[in-house]
Amino acid sequence: MLKLYDYELSGNCYKLRLMMSFLGLEHTTEAVDFYPGNQHKSEAFRQINPLGQLPVIDDDGLVLRDAQAILVYLASKYDTSGKWYPCDDPAMLGQISQWLAFADGITATASAARLHDALFYTHIDVDAARSGAHRLFRILDEHLFFAEEIGQTWICPGDHPTIADIACFPYIMLAEEGGVSRMDYPAIRRWCDRFKRIPGFKVMSGVFPAGPAADQSAA
Amino acid sequence: MSEFKCKDPVALNLWYAISALEEVRQGQIVRSMLLEEPIAYTRDDSGQVRCWAGGDKDSRALPVQERYGYFWTTLGKPTSEIFPIPEHAEADRRNIHAATVGVNVSAPRMVENFLDMGHFPYVHTDILGAEPHTEVKEYFVEVSKERDEILATNCLFWQPMAAAASDGGADVEYVYRVPHPFCSVLYKSSPLDETRMDVIAIFIQPYNQEQVRVHMMLCLLDEENTDTQIRLFQQTIFGQDKPILENQHPKRLPLDPRAETPIRADKSAIAYRRWLSDKGITYGVIPSAA
Amino acid sequence: MTTDLQRNWYPIASSTDLPKRHVYQAQLLGREFAVWRADDGYVNVWENRCLHRGVRLSIGINDGRELKCQYHGWRYANRTAGCTYIPAHPADAPARTICNNTYPAQEAYGLVWAGEEATGDVPALDGFDDLTALRPIPLIAPMNMVAEALLEYKWDESCKGARNDEGSVTVTASDGTAVRVFVQPLDSNHSVMRGIYNRAVSEDDRVALLKRHSWLMQELRDRIEAQAATQDAPEPYHPVIAKVSEDLVDIPAISEDGRTADLRVTVTRKEMTAESIVSLRMEPIKGTLPTFQPGAHIDVHLQNGLVRQYSLTNGPGETDHFTIGVKREPDSRGGSVSIHDNLQQGDNLAISAPRNNFPLRRDSVHTIFVAGGIGVTPLIAMARALNAQGLSFEFHYFVQSDDHVAFKREIGEFEGALSIHTGLSPDATGAKLAEILSSPDNSRHVYICGPGPMLEATREIASEKGWSDDAVHFEYFKNTTELDDSSSFDIDLARSAMTLNVPAGKSILDVLRENGINMSSSCEQGACGTCRCGVIEGEVAHQDVYLSDTEKAEGKSIMTCVSRANSDRLILDI
Repeated sequence: MLKLYDYELSGNCYKLRLMMSFLGLEHTTEAVDFYPGNQHKSEAFRQINPLGQLPVIDDDGLVLRDAQAILVYLASKYDTSGKWYPCDDPAMLGQISQWLAFADGITATASAARLHDALFYTHIDVDAARSGAHRLFRILDEHLFFAEEIGQTWICPGDHPTIADIACFPYIMLAEEGGVSRMDYPAIRRWCDRFKRIPGFKVMSGVFPAGPAADQSAA
Repeated sequence: MSEFKCKDPVALNLWYAISALEEVRQGQIVRSMLLEEPIAYTRDDSGQVRCWAGGDKDSRALPVQERYGYFWTTLGKPTSEIFPIPEHAEADRRNIHAATVGVNVSAPRMVENFLDMGHFPYVHTDILGAEPHTEVKEYFVEVSKERDEILATNCLFWQPMAAAASDGGADVEYVYRVPHPFCSVLYKSSPLDETRMDVIAIFIQPYNQEQVRVHMMLCLLDEENTDTQIRLFQQTIFGQDKPILENQHPKRLPLDPRAETPIRADKSAIAYRRWLSDKGITYGVIPSAA
Repeated sequence: MTTDLQRNWYPIASSTDLPKRHVYQAQLLGREFAVWRADDGYVNVWENRCLHRGVRLSIGINDGRELKCQYHGWRYANRTAGCTYIPAHPADAPARTICNNTYPAQEAYGLVWAGEEATGDVPALDGFDDLTALRPIPLIAPMNMVAEALLEYKWDESCKGARNDEGSVTVTASDGTAVRVFVQPLDSNHSVMRGIYNRAVSEDDRVALLKRHSWLMQELRDRIEAQAATQDAPEPYHPVIAKVSEDLVDIPAISEDGRTADLRVTVTRKEMTAESIVSLRMEPIKGTLPTFQPGAHIDVHLQNGLVRQYSLTNGPGETDHFTIGVKREPDSRGGSVSIHDNLQQGDNLAISAPRNNFPLRRDSVHTIFVAGGIGVTPLIAMARALNAQGLSFEFHYFVQSDDHVAFKREIGEFEGALSIHTGLSPDATGAKLAEILSSPDNSRHVYICGPGPMLEATREIASEKGWSDDAVHFEYFKNTTELDDSSSFDIDLARSAMTLNVPAGKSILDVLRENGINMSSSCEQGACGTCRCGVIEGEVAHQDVYLSDTEKAEGKSIMTCVSRANSDRLILDI
């Protein structure tokens, strides 16, 4: 059975909860007391992930760390549609990887600012983290604006979201908890609404649901 | 008191929880903030918690009291003791530090959210409430002169999953206390013992007028769940309130009765706003124009 | 004090920023707006805070008809911005004065325009008959610095910039192509450049054009931001938050207007919706209509001087018009006949603001509607509200024949929830009602509206089946009780410390009015509930059909238009 080492308030763990929900994957969850217990730094947990970080999965003995890596694994192994991570399409794989790396940048900036404000990670240079997040959001907003212009709904081409969307979504939504406003990024905000309407979408603490989509037949 | 950035004598003379005792370690100095004054704390070689104002070692030592699993301090000269939570001393309860979290909002907005039931179905969907069970039934509010605190009783709300230890929907009874302008204690019917109530308290440490650090403490009768499960449940709830609080405008609590639109369900909040006004609190609020 | 800045129109969004079911967060001069397009296309520009607790409405939900606040689920109507529902108090109708702050808005040139206190039209753009809205570019810099720098904006060596009167900048190239850029001041040090290009372009060229200007404007942005960073940031704007109206400080607010008709409407459509039932669509002659809630009625002041009450059938968000259904009642005093025979499409009428004495609870796990004949009208509005929210209900409509089914299109939306019961005898109706009401349940509610005998029968059956009074809600459209006004008694007004005598032949309401006490009323025959008043002491002789039996037995309320005292004296909470 697939097992997720999880912490509710972690955006990186949320990426995997989303993926599993989109794919309808049965799994068990082991809640890790990230805060205040600091359990992810415990000796027992570091034997599972020497980096002492969440999330981690254990799929029948295959132990994997890193949210983006696990997204690649889950989509490749369990997505029978092949749309979340089209393994046979090199151009798509290249683009998806590019945005997975971009998502890591969002984690390093927007998520860092959130940890500074909410959990007192005082060693973080919060001004640098916030301006770094804005720099990335400007790039993504422009990308999504022109994607819409050519009728493209998601970060990567095609009519279906990919794991690149999943990887970017959580810390964009949680950015305001770190003092990074989305006011200047209307295309990102529209994409967030679309993302929330993907069948199987679920919320986490800090993320609100979207309302129902307009009935296309009535439109 | 003019040496302080905070000009509110009432706020300066209050006791504030600063840290869970379990998070104050020997050999580690933690810097924090109280009412815009930098403070720092550590545990000395003898195991005593030390706290001082300013950043450096020749700074002014601040008084320290240990209570409810936290250490408390003050910048001023408190006229009263730290308020009582007798349940904390009951032998069969589990006292748990659930979290200390930073929130970009004023302390009074935080307290008001803690007193509020009407948001349960919308913010804590399928946990503390679920549509269509949205009614806030009539409840009682009194301001106790003798104890100088607000008490809201007979608060009933339908909940699908009221605590980590519950397994179905029920009307849950709450009692709320506001014994300190920036602290609140709630009691809710225990899923395990009809005659007693679980206790959840928030102690707010204002960094400044629009940023706070919230300490959350529980005294539970729960015998089934692990500390981790209980903490994660509370953090999930808290994490749902946080973006609501951070999206309130203005961030300070307006005390003018015409600033916002109260309804009957807000009786306790109305009492709280009046109580703050009567006390002359100006910190973290927008006082009513005279 | 109003400044020029507040009087100006500024673009605050592109039209494409407002897809359906989205709430756009905007800002102008330090004030945030929640901007949303309803399914009917209307663009709402509201202050970005819920009146209740100040939470940003931009994190709320646009359901196409209403905007729902994320914090407590308060619902605000399209166009009017009035609150239609407060879930914490499902049995109450919110005071209709709970209304969000709205701002002037216009949609033109592919942009959405707003202003704090803008009037008139948005700037006319000569030479922009064909146009393309460019990608807006936000930046951290003061508006004037941005406008200055835009004079140097260039996509071609020949470009020349000039400032327009209202502050925008037009840059023109020698080939006649031009870009006009409006600078939207979000705050004192935060702006957006919103450009429009004076040519329509083909689909093929469009993206290239947008990309080119996006790129050039981002380059300009970087230069302006670098310049702005060398200066001290100006003090942010401090927009004043308007206070809520005085009467909202203590809830519940009771509307104080009597039988007034302060709205003027035009009948824009009059059509037969069923055998002897006409539907009227009424639109405001000027301005907008006030907020209504499902179950509400209006007073219609007819051309022959009569005043009649009709329930609105509108669904949520249908705020640009009111629709009522009127049955021809040849036996009545002439109200319905006058509407059927004399009223023309295009005629103007005076109507009252909607009043809701028949509020719909939405905390019911399942709701049962029972409509008889023309009594269907308020229930249509209610069921449309539940339907829009996806709440569970069933809708029973008793009619003489298929020809008598009114508002077919509206009730057609209820699909599987709709049951039409045609041509049943009184006995068969009773049997059907017994079936419908067979399983009482505290978490369900029943709403009934129809002719007196059917209403009586339904209430009786509900009571026999064990439904509690609290769960059965009804509205009579007339009171057929034989009224007795022969008694004489005193009333003490607790709050105003007055004692008045009510003589035979006069109602309490008449006496109050004569003594200058303003009391709302509507039907004045004990059916609508508008003139309800609290009773502190004394025994009430109820003659109304509005209060439930439980409420009558409690004796805490009285309908002042028809009911009287059994005791010598009543103490009223006025």
